[in-house]
Amino acid sequence: MRLVRSLALVAGLGLTVISLAGVPALAQKRGGTLVQITQPEPPTLGSYVSTANPVGQVASKIYDGLLEYDFDLKPLPSLAESWTVSEDGKTVTFKLRQGVKFHDGKPFTSADVQFTFMEVLKKVHPRGINTFAEVTAVETPDPQTAIFRLNRPAPYMMAALSGYESPILPKHVFSQGDIRTHQNANSPVGTGPFKFVEWRRGEFVRLDRNADYWKPGLPYLDRIVVRFIGDTGTRAAALEKGEAHIAGFGAVPYNDVKKLEKLPNIQIVTKGYEMLSPVVELMFNTKKAPFDNAKVRQAISYAIDRKFVIDNIWFGFGKPTNGPISSNFAPTGLYSADVTNYNVPDGVERANKLLDEAGFPRKADGIRFEITHDITPYGEEWRRFGEYTQQALARIGIKANLRYEDVATWLKRIYTDYDYDVSSNHLFNLADPVLGVHRAFHSRFIRPGTVFVNGVRWSSPRTDELMDRATIEPDAKKRAELYAEVQKIVVAEAPLAWTHEISFATVLDKRYRDVIVSPLGLFSSFDRAWRE
Amino acid sequence: MRGLRLISFIMTRLLQAIPVVLGVVVLNFLLLQLAPGDAATVLAGEAGGAPPEYVEQLRARFGLDKPVLVQLGLYLKNILLLDLGFSFRNNAPVLGLILDRLWPTLLLMGATLIVSVGGGVMLGVIAALGVRTWRDHLISIAAVIAYATPLFWIGLMLILAFSIRLDWFPTSGMEDVVAFHEGWARVVDIAHHLVLPTITLSLFYLALYTRLMRATVLEQRGAEYATTARAKGLTERAITLRHVLRNALLPVITMAGVQVGALLGGSVVVETVFAWPGLGQLAYQSLFARDFNLLLGIFFLSACLVVVVNIIVDVIYVLLDPRIRVGGKA
Repeated sequence: MRLVRSLALVAGLGLTVISLAGVPALAQKRGGTLVQITQPEPPTLGSYVSTANPVGQVASKIYDGLLEYDFDLKPLPSLAESWTVSEDGKTVTFKLRQGVKFHDGKPFTSADVQFTFMEVLKKVHPRGINTFAEVTAVETPDPQTAIFRLNRPAPYMMAALSGYESPILPKHVFSQGDIRTHQNANSPVGTGPFKFVEWRRGEFVRLDRNADYWKPGLPYLDRIVVRFIGDTGTRAAALEKGEAHIAGFGAVPYNDVKKLEKLPNIQIVTKGYEMLSPVVELMFNTKKAPFDNAKVRQAISYAIDRKFVIDNIWFGFGKPTNGPISSNFAPTGLYSADVTNYNVPDGVERANKLLDEAGFPRKADGIRFEITHDITPYGEEWRRFGEYTQQALARIGIKANLRYEDVATWLKRIYTDYDYDVSSNHLFNLADPVLGVHRAFHSRFIRPGTVFVNGVRWSSPRTDELMDRATIEPDAKKRAELYAEVQKIVVAEAPLAWTHEISFATVLDKRYRDVIVSPLGLFSSFDRAWRE
Repeated sequence: MRGLRLISFIMTRLLQAIPVVLGVVVLNFLLLQLAPGDAATVLAGEAGGAPPEYVEQLRARFGLDKPVLVQLGLYLKNILLLDLGFSFRNNAPVLGLILDRLWPTLLLMGATLIVSVGGGVMLGVIAALGVRTWRDHLISIAAVIAYATPLFWIGLMLILAFSIRLDWFPTSGMEDVVAFHEGWARVVDIAHHLVLPTITLSLFYLALYTRLMRATVLEQRGAEYATTARAKGLTERAITLRHVLRNALLPVITMAGVQVGALLGGSVVVETVFAWPGLGQLAYQSLFARDFNLLLGIFFLSACLVVVVNIIVDVIYVLLDPRIRVGGKA
């Protein structure tokens, strides 16, 4: 067994972690309540059955994971003190922390880890079914050791072990009854820094400090209250007045973010989304003419002025791009900039030329062909992006009619009926391309009825093969090469036109410090957050 | 004798209501089938995607894989047993979810009814008593403005003025979630949070009742019984308060009965603006999530409530105007 990483338990772990993140040594204070605005209200608090965004924002304070991550996406110890990966990548051994207790006072052991992965995440977690597909068994030779046996190596798995993505559940609570409808979903019991107290539907979830938390001296806050406010204007007002202290993930629209930024009591933070990395894409129905023609797709990609879109629709919160993998993966080497660049000053001319070549000349009225563009039903900026797309397409002689439907209808149209021409969406890259990128254009993910997968129905044997190899390649450098080729091919073929990476803006009350300290941002535990 | 008659009247009306409510349930059920997409798709969509095995699991669990008529039959059977079903999205029984929201809804509804009916009747009478004076003009103009202004705008302006600028009231919510008051302090805190949403929700109906009351008072004062009273030598004030008011109230009570139904659903906007945890928001969210068990539950409850309120209004008629009889041959 090759020792990949083995971190010993350090006394005074709180201090160590703080110095790791490079935060100046201010005097942290105990006490205070943090009011977080989460929008919309989560349907459940069972983050092991639902990966919906609001669920994670609440449950991540209650459940710990085996690992945490730093801003370079490198794993750090959490419930697992240390871990080793075998040479062949098919055995991962975790040494678990001793003396950790669940909120009900029962001790945390390897049996909980086995139960969580084998009985819950592998079976009912929407992403876990894929992520842990290779895990055949979790062995527990003693209460402090959990050995994962894998069918094939799964290097991406190590990026999916946070308390948000893979919450560790108490076996003695959740093994009773049906896990899918378990009564404790909404009265969760974890090992995290905050304990669940009460959920008043339509109002708030109250979480109180876990005095027995395993990190010495943490958490600093006495309480976190997560409030649900349906109206955007009221959310901004509550933040302005100091009734609420943090809101992220577009809970405050960008135009309000710009207004709030000017207030003395508020700061805007764009860090804390590095492990999510949403990339905006235009989707083409590649099984339908004229979008079965790569030149038409490339032309449209050339026609989108990325800078204009970012500056005017996303209020500057974004970064132009061409490919599916976010530049947040640059530190891991998986991001490649060596792809076709569609973001060029003469984009419109190139687009017109490509369309002429593709056999779609302008007719007498200057129009080449007419399509319907389905606007993404996720709010204001998406609506404006749809309107922009209509104008951009008009410049290259494509007449686009806009259609706006509610979420359920739109999802069915795009991912079940494939009854569309062009639409837009943003897929999260998540912690690894295997988890967040393959789904967009791997043939395995052309699955009617499954949302947020390959709705463009494009794939190629070569990219499939490259992605399959990258999935099980343990060597980081070789993986990077495989993904470089994937990016090159798929950007050139343009089954989707990737336009920009979104930066979400978190609105934060300045009295609160050390709140966003991980690439998971609002999906992290807030154990080191404190109030001045 | 009259008491007995009243009870038998109420019983008959309740029995008659059963087919009405069932009809509403069936109609709602079938209408909802027309909405494209289902709860499983939405759940998976919110999760940012899920494998097809998972979505199929969900459909089977929600019973969405069965034919529509079978689903309807099962639902009707359960309703007759007063079982409103399970909200899979919320992972909780529908009845519990609705009951949780019921008392904030009733609180806001009650406060709004009192303010709008009370205020409307008072202002209407004042305007009618001083018809074509400055009081009448002032009230009438204010009523027209209140009647015509959109609710969400009033709500946001009230927050801007009274919450952010003047700092008199909290922006939103039902109570202070930092302090978590208890006992009487909590009652005061909730009342404090109730002020702005109640004003916002009341204004429209307040204006409506003011205009209605003014018009009927003026009309009734020309009636023969008013002339008789005048001949007896009573003052205009006494005629209005003692004789006219009772009669003029009838149309307002009718409107208030209609308002109760509208308040259940029509308060979505105000609930959203003030983050008030009421039924309107719940219905709105469950529609977009295609959580039909929950939505049907809310519809069922609303239908029951409207039926009950109608009966109450009929009873109030009798109390206000003894000439109106209950129970059949009037």
